[in-house]
Amino acid sequence: MLSPAIKVVVIMLVVTGIVYPLVLVAIGQIGFPYQSNGSLITINGKLIGSKLIAQDFKSNMFFHPRPSSDSASTLDPDITPYSALLQISNVSRATGINQNALQTLIELNIERNRISNMVAFAPDYVNVLQINSELVSQYPDIYNTFLKSINPHETTANISGVDGG
Amino acid sequence: MNPVIELVVVLGGTIGLSVPFGMYLARMISYEMRPLEAPLARVENGFYKIVGIDKNKQMTWKEYAFSLFITNIIIGVFIFLVFLLQGYIPSPSHVNGLSIDLAFNTAVSFITNTNLQHFAGDQTLTVTTQIIAITFAMFIAPASGIAAAFAFIRSFIRKNFGLGNFYVDFIRIILTLLLPVAFVSALLLMFLGSPQTLSPSVTINHTLEGHNQTFTTGPVASLESIKELGSNGGGYFGSNSGHPFENPNGPSNIYEMFLMLIIPVSFPIAYAKLVGKARGISLLLAILIGFGILLAISFSQTSGPTGLETRFGSFGSEFFNTVSIATNTGAANSALSGMSVNPVISFFLAMFVQSIPGADGTGILYMLIYVVLTLFIVGLMVGKTPEFMNMKISPIDIKLAAFIFLIHPAIIFIPAVIAFASGNAQSILAVPAGKMTTVSGFTQALYEYTSAAANNGSDYLGTSANNPFWNWSTGIVMFLGRYPPIILALAIAGSFTLKDRKEAIEPIKTHGPLFIAVLLVMTFLLTALTFFPVIVIGPFSM
Repeated sequence: MLSPAIKVVVIMLVVTGIVYPLVLVAIGQIGFPYQSNGSLITINGKLIGSKLIAQDFKSNMFFHPRPSSDSASTLDPDITPYSALLQISNVSRATGINQNALQTLIELNIERNRISNMVAFAPDYVNVLQINSELVSQYPDIYNTFLKSINPHETTANISGVDGG
Repeated sequence: MNPVIELVVVLGGTIGLSVPFGMYLARMISYEMRPLEAPLARVENGFYKIVGIDKNKQMTWKEYAFSLFITNIIIGVFIFLVFLLQGYIPSPSHVNGLSIDLAFNTAVSFITNTNLQHFAGDQTLTVTTQIIAITFAMFIAPASGIAAAFAFIRSFIRKNFGLGNFYVDFIRIILTLLLPVAFVSALLLMFLGSPQTLSPSVTINHTLEGHNQTFTTGPVASLESIKELGSNGGGYFGSNSGHPFENPNGPSNIYEMFLMLIIPVSFPIAYAKLVGKARGISLLLAILIGFGILLAISFSQTSGPTGLETRFGSFGSEFFNTVSIATNTGAANSALSGMSVNPVISFFLAMFVQSIPGADGTGILYMLIYVVLTLFIVGLMVGKTPEFMNMKISPIDIKLAAFIFLIHPAIIFIPAVIAFASGNAQSILAVPAGKMTTVSGFTQALYEYTSAAANNGSDYLGTSANNPFWNWSTGIVMFLGRYPPIILALAIAGSFTLKDRKEAIEPIKTHGPLFIAVLLVMTFLLTALTFFPVIVIGPFSM
């Protein structure tokens, strides 16, 4: 009476608990290496974070994420457009970047997220690491202390991963 | 964001695709030709040979129930040992084993399709455990529920059709339903941003501001897809579908809702194909109207923003959580404490009823139990012997159905009372000595047992309930919420399958607008009468 039960358990363990996830790991690593490894962003070849995981920003030269305790995941990578707009004056004061330029950057970020959410499927939001990486790449002179600390020999910023590729 | 488009895409997509899915389920139930029948049958025959079963051997209800139960127990013991001994099992990441009570709770939780988690998966489980214990159990639990529903529906088809063979159903459900859909869905979730790697974590040595950052990765997409499709609900991460790796954006949120709904909503279509179009459509409409009411209650009050993820907002969180809890999946994409009162009331109602649309397999099973009870009560009103599908419903069937219905409140109220009487509820709710428990504290403890009893798995308490009292008590509740109802339902099926069918006009029609209305009123009335007192002192008072 127990024999078929034990055998069916063993064979299904092999199929669903071993083959299924491992085949998907293989496909993921070959077919979707960016997503499968955590949507990582690099600047000048050095990893600086994941697009999907919030990181702490203290400097006034950057946009800041939500307080981690306020979100469900404590890692919410996004902020509302309202919260981003509120931070413009601080970032502008600390960096000297024109407020209108910052606003445009926010609008472009919102637009890009809108497209990846097929417009209808998510509210508008700003991805914090994405917009901060863009600041560094567009204003390498202003952010050069951060750039130098990533790689002392670089004066420009080549970002990859921000757009999801 | 556009709520109307989201609703249309999720509900329209589910209802549209439930037709081919339901037809496919019907073919599986009645052993008719499926697409790709020849190659599928060849693979299945290979499995039958290895397992050593005769696919043509029909089981009695007792054999069916025994095979289901013993298979689940063997898996339960296996995953219990994996949890207990995971420190000794090779894995890319090292974490010590779980305590005996937590291992027991978690093993029961995952074989019973509940997925209540008194731990955070990303911190407590290794990569190996996440695949060989968690992902594995996420296939077998829904497959067992679906198999029970297959046997139950077969008992209606015609006399001596037979209930089927559990092992045949179990193998076919996994290989030709869950596995292919989960596989394709995992690919889609990966495309949308879910990781799929054996590396347990990523360390960033130098963030933009020069800090260190480490976060957990792993084979998330393969777990996520079967988690939703199988109405499981246990997250790879402690924050479940709120974690950006489990649910990265709007499209993944939409797709995961579809995955949770598709099998439960397809069952009434399969039922329509097998026992009459009008009956099946009526059942589907009753479920959809009930579900619409739940959604309306949830949407009547906005939630957040604290406890919610920015990318989902109030609507995307309430919608996801209502779908998740109504399908007894339990995978919240926000903290439950971030939900307003009305959505929480909707969640309680969904877990009390368990069948609008309910979990894979057991949802339709409970719905048909409500049909039997409704026919009995209406039969009493009009003074006629209740009949269903041209069969007389006998007193023993009614007793079994009533027993199934009564198990649910019993395993919610009794342990909740014990938890409060013994002070175990107060201690984890941090009620100061000599003080009364707050309304929200009472609601959280009530929610815990309701979720365990409904095999739902969503909860407020989470890791704070990781202590022997809560681990053992909710473990026992989950067990009693799963196997006794399934075994009793199979007993009813055993009785139905032997009954004579008389082609006569049904004394009470089991289709049409009147039946839908009566079924809905009866279901809500039975539930309200049973649970009204606790809802009043719990969520209604918040």
